[in-house]
Amino acid sequence: MGTAWVPLALTLKVAGWATLLNLVLGVAVGFLLARKQFPGRDVLDALLTLPMVMPPTVLGYYLLVLIGRRGPLGGWLDATFGIQLIFTWQGAVIAATIVAFPLVFKASRAAFESVDPQLEQAACVLGVPEWAVFLRVTLPLAWRGVMAGLLLAFARATGEFGATLMVAGSIPGRTQTLSIAVYEAVQAGQDHVANSLVLITSVTCIAVLLIAGRLAPGRVAGQF
Amino acid sequence: MHSPLTWDIDIRRRFEHAGRRFDLQVRFASHARRLILFGPSGAGKSQTLKVIAGLTTPDTGHVRLAGRTLWDHRAGIHMPTPERRLGYVFQDYALFPHLTVAQNVGFGVTRGARNPGRHATPPQVLRWLSAFDLAPLAHHYPEQLSGGQRQRTALARALVTEPHALLLDEPFAALDTVLRARLRHELAEWLDRLAVPMILITHDPADVDHLGDEVLTLSEGRVLPAGGATVATV
Amino acid sequence: MPVPLSRIAVPLAAVMLSWQASAADLTVSAAASLTRAFTELAPLFEAQHPDTKVLLNFGASGALLQQIAKGAPADVYASADQASMNQAQSQGLVRAAERRNFVSNSLVVIVPAGGTTMPKTLQDLLGPAFSRVAIGQPASVPVGRYTKAVLEKCGLWAAIEPKVIGAQNVRQALDYVARGEVHAGFVYGTDAASMPDKVQVAFTVPTEEPVRYAVAPVEAGPNAAAARRFVSFLLTPSAQAVFARHGFGKP
Repeated sequence: MGTAWVPLALTLKVAGWATLLNLVLGVAVGFLLARKQFPGRDVLDALLTLPMVMPPTVLGYYLLVLIGRRGPLGGWLDATFGIQLIFTWQGAVIAATIVAFPLVFKASRAAFESVDPQLEQAACVLGVPEWAVFLRVTLPLAWRGVMAGLLLAFARATGEFGATLMVAGSIPGRTQTLSIAVYEAVQAGQDHVANSLVLITSVTCIAVLLIAGRLAPGRVAGQF
Repeated sequence: MHSPLTWDIDIRRRFEHAGRRFDLQVRFASHARRLILFGPSGAGKSQTLKVIAGLTTPDTGHVRLAGRTLWDHRAGIHMPTPERRLGYVFQDYALFPHLTVAQNVGFGVTRGARNPGRHATPPQVLRWLSAFDLAPLAHHYPEQLSGGQRQRTALARALVTEPHALLLDEPFAALDTVLRARLRHELAEWLDRLAVPMILITHDPADVDHLGDEVLTLSEGRVLPAGGATVATV
Repeated sequence: MPVPLSRIAVPLAAVMLSWQASAADLTVSAAASLTRAFTELAPLFEAQHPDTKVLLNFGASGALLQQIAKGAPADVYASADQASMNQAQSQGLVRAAERRNFVSNSLVVIVPAGGTTMPKTLQDLLGPAFSRVAIGQPASVPVGRYTKAVLEKCGLWAAIEPKVIGAQNVRQALDYVARGEVHAGFVYGTDAASMPDKVQVAFTVPTEEPVRYAVAPVEAGPNAAAARRFVSFLLTPSAQAVFARHGFGKP
């Protein structure tokens, strides 16, 4: 089925962007919470984990209210830049990013916490500035844990349905991702379309898992 | 002719943890090139070293080495750790597990966001590797090394940056007696050759005998009045 | 203080095991546009038949049809168009002999309340002021099918299709307009009347075929007797009065 490839391309695009955003956000936040002490740190951690526990439709509703044209953020974006996020693939990316964020941030935090601070101190004394210590010592040692989180986040983003449907709708070619396309096909009684889509989704998931197995970071002496 | 003191330390820091309090109040001034901090565990020896290195910030006081002020609370001077040009050997060596011996040793002389390459080793690093008998181990990872080899790697790594002073935290504690004696001897030779002043933490009296020009005994966060060694007062 | 397991075990088991519908339940799968009317009618039916409990399941007629086709245990199927019921009949899913038409509706174009531009004709929707138009997915939503049929007849479907924001059911199309996320939408007259403060009707759209709702007992439904009674109930004057109050027309 020719048209079945469109939802796949869209799903990969949305999930790819969401994972990229989470790489930056999740790693930054994970590092912050791992290394800096401040009052209310645990409360912040719990709040940031909320999207993982909340039903996606609840999340979708919050997002709709927030970034919709009549919402505080959405109204401002519309008035100032003429940007509308509802019914766009960018809106789908936002939904997928938020839903998968806790996976990256928690995995990153745990990974950074497992890095011996004394190694960072040693690097510091050797004359390497703080930002370079992060890039040369902390991140390489935490990378495996971060990567595991990213893969889970990618998988979660590809399967995202509830929040995406509410925020981005089901627009073929623009926001109709694989999971939504399957839903539509079943509702319309188009079983043959549903079958192709399900097959494509399954093959994609297996491919992701295989790639994940290969991507395990190159030989690093010692287990972290 | 009054040359600047090699070590001019006056620090005060209160540590509070789980309802217990520890007051570090260390004052000493000395011309000694080889200073030993002696004392039981929990006396504050490691903390003192961390303060000198800038890894811990005291509440008040100053830290001056050979005329350079690294930290002065009243004058508002706070030199960040990477700028202090010190060498530090941690108790368990703190070798970077994801880098080879050569990469570890070359770490401090490599600037920027990238680690030294796995295959291209700069000549000065090669010199240090052979000086410490580490050349055959250049491409090994720390987990593959013996205790003595790790210690030599840690020492080479600290010295390759040509530090103004060397701080050693119980460098021989994890080694057996024979090895300890040999490495102690090697360290003494290096110190003579490089003319680098050193503070060494130990609770082994043999280290005191063989390595120290001067000994400070710490107990419960304070320097005890000397019995035998001279401590210049400021 | 931790609750001992023994104290919550029984209530917990009761909750977890209560998924089984009991024999006196009547499951009604009804088109989304019937939500408010049926919600009001259910207690009235239960008052007349105290041994029966009405369970309402709303959705797009097409989606509901698929559920029944795949074996969902509905007793009654009420669709917003003849086409869905015809499909159900051709698949042998309903008792054809007891099929009835019970209400009619109108198709209207609505815009968000307080909106500045009001379209007067279908032609106006082609203009740049209406870059997003909510229409139910024609594949599974009757209101979408009615809309598409009208637009195709006028030769406007191809021009409007790029602007279409597909809705899962008519209530969702209504919601999109109410939130101001789209500039116009096609819904039933009854839906527009249900949110007078959030949407305004621009004009009524004459449809190719009259919008007539059909109802029938489901062939494999577990409660055939109650199903038959419910279908008759919908045609009684008291039920029809309720429909009229919500804006429905006579069948």
